[in-house]
This record gives sequence, C-alpha cells and structure tokens, in this order.
Amino acid sequence: MTCLNKRFVSLMNKVLDGEARREEKMELDRHMETCESCRNHFRELKQSTELLNHLSHPQLPFSFTKNVLDKLPAENRHALREWMSRHPVWATAAICALPMSFVMIAAKRQTFFQGKNGEDHGYLLLRVPEDRS
Amino acid sequence: MEYKEKRLIKKVKKGDHQAFAELVDKYKNSVYSICLRMVGNSQEAEDLSQETFIRAYKHIDQFDTDRKFSTWIFRIATNLSIDFLRRKKPSVSLDAELPGTDGLELKEILASGEALPDELVVWSETERIVQYEIDRLREKYRSAIILKYIQGLSLKEISEILGVPIGTVKTRIHRGREILRKNITAIRGEE
Ligand SMILES: [Zn+2]
Repeated sequence: MTCLNKRFVSLMNKVLDGEARREEKMELDRHMETCESCRNHFRELKQSTELLNHLSHPQLPFSFTKNVLDKLPAENRHALREWMSRHPVWATAAICALPMSFVMIAAKRQTFFQGKNGEDHGYLLLRVPEDRS
Repeated sequence: MEYKEKRLIKKVKKGDHQAFAELVDKYKNSVYSICLRMVGNSQEAEDLSQETFIRAYKHIDQFDTDRKFSTWIFRIATNLSIDFLRRKKPSVSLDAELPGTDGLELKEILASGEALPDELVVWSETERIVQYEIDRLREKYRSAIILKYIQGLSLKEISEILGVPIGTVKTRIHRGREILRKNITAIRGEE
C-alpha cells in the first residue's frame, strides 16, 4: 500500500508528535503531493488519533470520594499526638502497652502487602516495568 | 508542585482525611478515565480508581513532595490496571466480532475522509468501536496511547509514569498509533 519509504513514515511520526522542523514538514508535504499512498497513510494516522481525542471522559458518581474516605485507615496519628500532649499520664500508660501494638501493626502490615490470594502487591508502587522495548 | 497541593499533602502525611478528600476530588475523574480506557469496563474501572486512592493514602509517606502528585497517582492507576489485565487474561480474542451493530456510522465517517465533526450524533457506537480497538492493543502500547491521547500528557510525564525512557515512550506511541490505524482502516475496508 505505502511507498514504504521509511524516511517519510518517520517524518509523519515527527509531525504527529509535534517535533518536526519546518523544513521537514515541507519535505513531507511535497512528497505527499505526488505520493498517494503516503497521503492516505498520513490521513489514516491522523484520523485514528482524532478518534482517540474525541473519546468521552465519563465522570465518577458524586459518592466516590466519600466511599474512598470510608475505606481509609482510621484518622488517628495526628489526633493521637495532640491527645498525648494534653494527657501525659494516660500517655505514659499507653506507652507501656506499646510493645503489644507493635505486634498488631506487624500482623496488619503483612496482610496488606499480601493480597487476597497471598500474592505480594507491595511492588506495585515501586517496580520498574520490565518490558523496555 | 503548586504550593496549595504541597500543603495538602503535608496534612495527608499527618493522617488528615479531609485534605485527602480534596486531592481525591481533584484527580478522581482523570484516574477513572485512565482505568476506564485501560480495562474497558466502567465497574472494574471504578473499583480500580478506588483502589488507586486507597493505596496512595496508605503509601503517602513514600511520596516525594518535590515531584508532581498527578504523575504519582497516574502511575499507581496505570500499574493497577496493567496488573488487573494480567490477572484476568486471556479474555479478549483478536478474532472476536465487533461489539454491537456493524459500526456502519464510523465506516461512513472514515470513508468520507473528512475531519471528525465536534458533535457526533453516533458517538456511542463509534466510541464502542474505538474502545474495542484500544482493548486489542498490547498493554505497553495501550498505556502509552491512553496517557498521550486521552490524558493529553507530555512525553516526559508519560515516561515518568511508565518508568521507561522518553525514546521508549515515543516508540510505543508510534507502534500503537500504527496498529490503531491499520485496524480502524480495516473496518472501513469491510464495507
Ligand atoms: Zn510515499
């Protein structure tokens, strides 16, 4: 179908990426005046990306934010610090109970990083996708 | 990152839910749009969006406030979507029939060779076909194409979200664009 000239295909990509210099754009235009297959190819490429641009952006229901908030871990760290500064005696008592809570936090953390089926999800935030081609 | 957002994130790091709600409101529809186009299903996309924000909240300590929050949250959304696709695979058959009717309207638009009008009466049908073609793209092309053409992000941002060099992002966009062109033109050819 195309005239298979790699130079012009790469120029098309440059133009579509908005990275073509003026001379390059003119070179492509000149070629397309006489080459019908490149002209069609370029038009088809542009149409495809235009279709993507025209896709709608549906909105989430209003309740979404509240649903997220309901699922967050309890709002406690900040409040706790404030509470401790106001009630030093109780805070001391609480610190005595601290070793126990470490055990509980450790247990909780483990279940979070292991998904329902025991697979490890901790990598999701940190991993570098392996496929670099 | 803008000052207001930086301040919000500092509050979130201290466990402030209300500050986090503001961030959710600001980014939820962009996150949803990424998930929706990645997995092609609105219910799954909503669940993935929710998981994205919950995960962001739980890991907010890892977020460096000198970076852009949008890049970070889009990275989580993209990774969760890719992870979801890998788990549910293989369901999309490349030989599957086009969904719904035969896509006649799209063929007509393409055959006319004209620029697409802003108001497309037939949009829902066209949209279904385009989503079908997105679904057929391999994950690495799909994510690059969605971030570029549906989110309108720069190559640099996409490269940070996907964790690959800019040159790789370009190659993926070129490949994805070419595959879409071929498949969408094939629909026209069926006339
Ligand atoms: Zn040519």
